[in-house]
Amino acid sequence: MEREDLIKKWLDNNLNSQEFEAFKQLEDFEELTRLDFALQQFKPVDFESDIELKKLNLALKNKHKKQNNWRKPFLRIAAILAICLGSFYYTTTLDTSIATKFAEKENIVLPDNSQVKLNAKSTLAFNKNSWKDNRNLDLTGEAYFKVAKGSKFTVHTSVGDISVLGTEFNINTRNNLFEVICYEGSVKVAHANTIRILKPGESFLILDNKLVDKPKIRDTSPTWITNESTFYSMPYTQVIAELERQYNVTFSVNDIDTNQLFTGSFTHDNLDIALQVITTPFNLAYTINNKKISLKRE
Amino acid sequence: MAKNLHDNICDEIRFNALFKKHAKDLSNFLYYKFGDHLNPKDKTQDAFIKLWENCKKVTPEKAKSFLFTIANNLMLNEVKHHKIVLKHHQTKPKHYTTESPEFLMEEQQYNQKLQTALSNLTNAQRVAFMMNRVEGKRHKEIAELLGISTKAVEKRIYGALKKLRQDIKEL
Repeated sequence: MEREDLIKKWLDNNLNSQEFEAFKQLEDFEELTRLDFALQQFKPVDFESDIELKKLNLALKNKHKKQNNWRKPFLRIAAILAICLGSFYYTTTLDTSIATKFAEKENIVLPDNSQVKLNAKSTLAFNKNSWKDNRNLDLTGEAYFKVAKGSKFTVHTSVGDISVLGTEFNINTRNNLFEVICYEGSVKVAHANTIRILKPGESFLILDNKLVDKPKIRDTSPTWITNESTFYSMPYTQVIAELERQYNVTFSVNDIDTNQLFTGSFTHDNLDIALQVITTPFNLAYTINNKKISLKRE
Repeated sequence: MAKNLHDNICDEIRFNALFKKHAKDLSNFLYYKFGDHLNPKDKTQDAFIKLWENCKKVTPEKAKSFLFTIANNLMLNEVKHHKIVLKHHQTKPKHYTTESPEFLMEEQQYNQKLQTALSNLTNAQRVAFMMNRVEGKRHKEIAELLGISTKAVEKRIYGALKKLRQDIKEL
C-alpha cells in the first residue's frame, strides 16, 4: 500500500491491524506520533454541556426578567400619572354650585363681576376654571342677572337656554312655568324650537307648554329683589307655590279653582299681610296651623 | 435523518436537547477557527440566545447551520473590531519535569514551532485538522458538521498535515 494512502487512512482512524503494522514501518511514523502527541496540548478547555446549559438558561431567564423590569416601573408611573391627571381633571372641571333654601335669597358675584341674585329654593352652578373661555351657568329656580360686558353669557335651564352679551334679565323656571324678562340690553331665548330676542321690558313666558303674550313692563328690576313677588295674570297655583317657597309653608286648598288668574304682589316679610293680599281678591279665608295653611271660601 | 414532528424549536426540552447535541462542537469549532482569546464559549452562549429569540422561524433541521452561521458572524464582527492575530493557547503538562533540560528545551521549541505552524494554516484546514486530531472525529462526522463532502474534509486534513510538517521542518 502506498505511503500516502496509509497516512490518509491513519488520519481517518481507519487502519486495520495489518495496515497499522505497515504504517509503523514508515519513516514518517516517529514524526507523526510526536506531532500527534504535541497536538493534544492544543485541546480546547473541556466544554461541560450541563454547566453551560445552566448558564444559558439563566441568561435567558434574566433577559425575560429585564423586559419585565422596565415594564413594571413603567406601569407604576403610568398608573400614578393617570390618577394625578384624572383627579386634576376632575377637580378643575368640578362645578361650583350655590343653592338657596326656603325663604332664602343669595347674592352671587361671578368671576367676571357679573351679579346674580338667586331667589328662594333655587340652584346655580358654574365652572370657575373654564369661566374665562365660556360663561356658562346652569340654573334651576329663579334668578336675576346683571351681566358684565364680555363674551357670550349663557344660562342653561331644563326648559331652554338664555344667552346674552351684557345685560340685566330675570329667569324663572318653576313647575310648568318658564319666564324670562329682559330689563336692559337684549336677551336671546331658545326654547324648544323657538328663538326669541327680547328687548327691554319684554318678556318670554311659557305656561303649561304654551307661549303666553304679556304686556311690556316698566320696572327696571324684578320686584322680588326688594322682597316682593309680583304677578301679572298668573295662575293662582304659581302664586301659592311662590308663597310656599318664600315662607316655607304648605298650602291645602279645597274646592278652589286654582287656575284663576291673579294680578298683584305680596311681601316676603310678613306672612299675614301676604296671605291677606292673595286671599281677599278671591273672597277666601285662611287658617294657619303650624306652617300648614288651609284656604276656604268665605 | 428521522423526520421531525415539530416545525420549530420553541420548547425548552427540544431546545435543551439541541444545546447538548451541538454546543460542544460549536464551541470547539470556534476555538479552532478563531483561537481562545475571543471567548468561544461566550459566543456559543450568544448564538443559542439568538436561536431562542428566533425559535419560531428556525426548523429543527436548520438549527445547526443557523447556530454555526450566527456564531461565525459574531466572531467575525469581533475580529473586525480587534484585528488580533490568532494564537492557540497551551498549558504545559507537568510530567515533563523529569526529563533532561536539553530535552525540555527542544520540546519547548518544538511546541512553539507547532503553534506557529498551526496559526499559518488556513481557518478551514485548521478546523478540520484539529477536529480530527484532537477530538478523534472521523472524516464523515466532520463533513456532516461542516456541511461539506468527505472528500473535501480528507483534502483539508491531509493538506494541513503536509503543511504542518513542512513548516516545522523549515522553522
